[in-house]
Amino acid sequence: MRSSLKIGTALVAGLLLAAGCGSPATSSDPDAVVELSLWTGFTGPDRPAYENLVKQFNASHPKIKVTMDVQPWDAIAQKLPGAWATGQGPDLATPNFDPGVLFNYVKTNSLLPLDEAVGAGDGKLNADTFPAAVNTAFTIDGKLYAAPANMATLVLYYNKAMFAEAGLQEPKTADEFAAAAKQLTKTEGDKVTQYGISLADHATIQMWPILQWMNGGDIVDAKGCATIAQPASVQALTTWADLVVKDKVSPIGQTGADADTLFSAKKAAMEINGPWAAAGFKEAGIDLGIAAVPVGAGGPVTLASTVPLAVGKSTKHKAQALEFLSWWTGKTAQAAFSDASGFPPVRTDVTSSNPVVAPFAAGLPHARLYLPGLPTSPKIDADVYVPLIGKITRGEPVEAAAQAAADAINQITGCTA
Amino acid sequence: MTTATLTGRRWLNPAYMYLAPSLLIIAVFIAEPILRSGWMSLHDWTVGEETHEWVGLGNYLELFADERFRNALTVTGVYTLVTVAGQVVAGLALAMWLRRTTWLSSLLRSAFFFPTVASFAVVGVVWKFLLDPQVGLVNAWLEKAGTTGPGWLTDTGLALVTVMGVGIWKGVGFSMIVLLAALQGVPDQLIEAAKLDGAGRWHQFRAVILPELRPALLFTTVIATVTSLQLFDLVYVMTGGGPLFHTESIVAYLYQRGFVEFRLGYASAIAWVLFVMILIVSMIQLRIARSHDGG
Repeated sequence: MRSSLKIGTALVAGLLLAAGCGSPATSSDPDAVVELSLWTGFTGPDRPAYENLVKQFNASHPKIKVTMDVQPWDAIAQKLPGAWATGQGPDLATPNFDPGVLFNYVKTNSLLPLDEAVGAGDGKLNADTFPAAVNTAFTIDGKLYAAPANMATLVLYYNKAMFAEAGLQEPKTADEFAAAAKQLTKTEGDKVTQYGISLADHATIQMWPILQWMNGGDIVDAKGCATIAQPASVQALTTWADLVVKDKVSPIGQTGADADTLFSAKKAAMEINGPWAAAGFKEAGIDLGIAAVPVGAGGPVTLASTVPLAVGKSTKHKAQALEFLSWWTGKTAQAAFSDASGFPPVRTDVTSSNPVVAPFAAGLPHARLYLPGLPTSPKIDADVYVPLIGKITRGEPVEAAAQAAADAINQITGCTA
Repeated sequence: MTTATLTGRRWLNPAYMYLAPSLLIIAVFIAEPILRSGWMSLHDWTVGEETHEWVGLGNYLELFADERFRNALTVTGVYTLVTVAGQVVAGLALAMWLRRTTWLSSLLRSAFFFPTVASFAVVGVVWKFLLDPQVGLVNAWLEKAGTTGPGWLTDTGLALVTVMGVGIWKGVGFSMIVLLAALQGVPDQLIEAAKLDGAGRWHQFRAVILPELRPALLFTTVIATVTSLQLFDLVYVMTGGGPLFHTESIVAYLYQRGFVEFRLGYASAIAWVLFVMILIVSMIQLRIARSHDGG
């Protein structure tokens, strides 16, 4: 018996050695350059602006070298949760474009709270200069878990040539918007040759909530109680579901990427999207119009999107990672980034000199986040909201579907009101 | 000689030594994870949490009342029935057609076998692109032919059919090659004798060729069934389980619960139910085959 144990032990030891499981020697040289790894999902046309920012940081911080690894969002969503939960992975990352996903990472104990870095002045994380919505979205149980990698609002992109051909003006009100979507849809027999608008319903930054907000409706209130079945919301969903089902103003079941492709291919006249899309649309040769989201009964509104930039809990270079975040969200970096990218700055005390930024910055005061501050938001999105839009755009009666969605939301959030 | 040294000697038998590395790898990478997932399925287990609450059979009870799991069962069942039948029947038809080796049949064999070599993920990406309703090649051709192509992957009634079609297309080459090899092994004199007895082409096939092919048919059916029951890559790449869960297979649902929501206990319970299902189905298939062999 004993000899078999010995053989077994020897084999295991041999295998482990062969697999290279020994821990690497760590250097304690104070002059050594600290290497930070950063995963982001900025694969779009805005990518060079982020890369430049990293380059600037490395140039001004000789003792830290940040290497940014840009991957598609779904690749990050596959790899990062497991990596961080088991103490591996990059020092810093943007886990998702949806801040709601932070809750999942907090649940698996993967994120480093940033509170010790928060303060006033350079070298600190100036959280009080971030838009309030950002801090709400990134704070969980009183702790700040991310800094904004960017800040954006959605606008209405439209194809000027198609509007001119139809003799239409840029829509200012919700009614004009709906009418334009209908009028710009062209059919030949059964076939739609031009869509009025390109709406996505999954794998995207949600655009349907804007249609509800425009009309004064909403999905869920701050206490987690569903408001999606209230009249203003049902009315908005009915209007747009009818436009999609009966008037075929948009294809159904599109992802965000599908919706962009459709608009870029000049097969749709309008799309609601953020600043990252502008360069691609112009490159596709579209005579691009950019307008604020039309105003309905709910007053001016748009959707705010902010990508969280978080630190992995098991990073070995906490101080350097926090320094990077403070610099990234600092005045100098944000002014430079905004000028280069066309995104509004993530700080309220910086104004961009880039004229492209104006329409997006103009949306900031009334921009709202999708399902903000709810630990269950990823589940509400995946299990309730996305299926709801899928159902009503395939002809299911809106009122019943909205009521069922409201019940499902209340069950998920535990709202009993 | 004492018993201790005897056991020691027996353990030192070179056969065990040769087996040890493989056994160790199986133990570490297969047996241990399987047992651990069984243990996890009895807990409310979230990655990264310090303690995991013991729930006994709670996850399994929740599973049997879970509508989305039942939906996933149906989707997987339908997919398996249709693709396995389609794959084996089409594979057999192709094998019969391409039985004689000519330059054309060699070319066609390679062509039909090619999708087997590519991974499900690659196949899924390519087909998703081809079938895109707005910019895909398939609908563009249909348009040229004067009709409007459907939303292959966005239409709730059509999405699973499309995925099954791609699944069959991907698997048919494998069945074909296995059956071709088996066909080459059918003794010519048997067919000759059947011909002399006045058997037509159908009778030759039915009474001589098919019985000879039984082991190969069983093999392809079992492999295809096990692969189909584990359907994931195609769905993940082509539809993400949508539209509206119409293509969400058991493994796709497991992925959602386990690796998106991190409910590993619940996901492990799903995995164990799937494991038992595959075990039962394979046992039934083998039993059927054996009873035929006996008779």
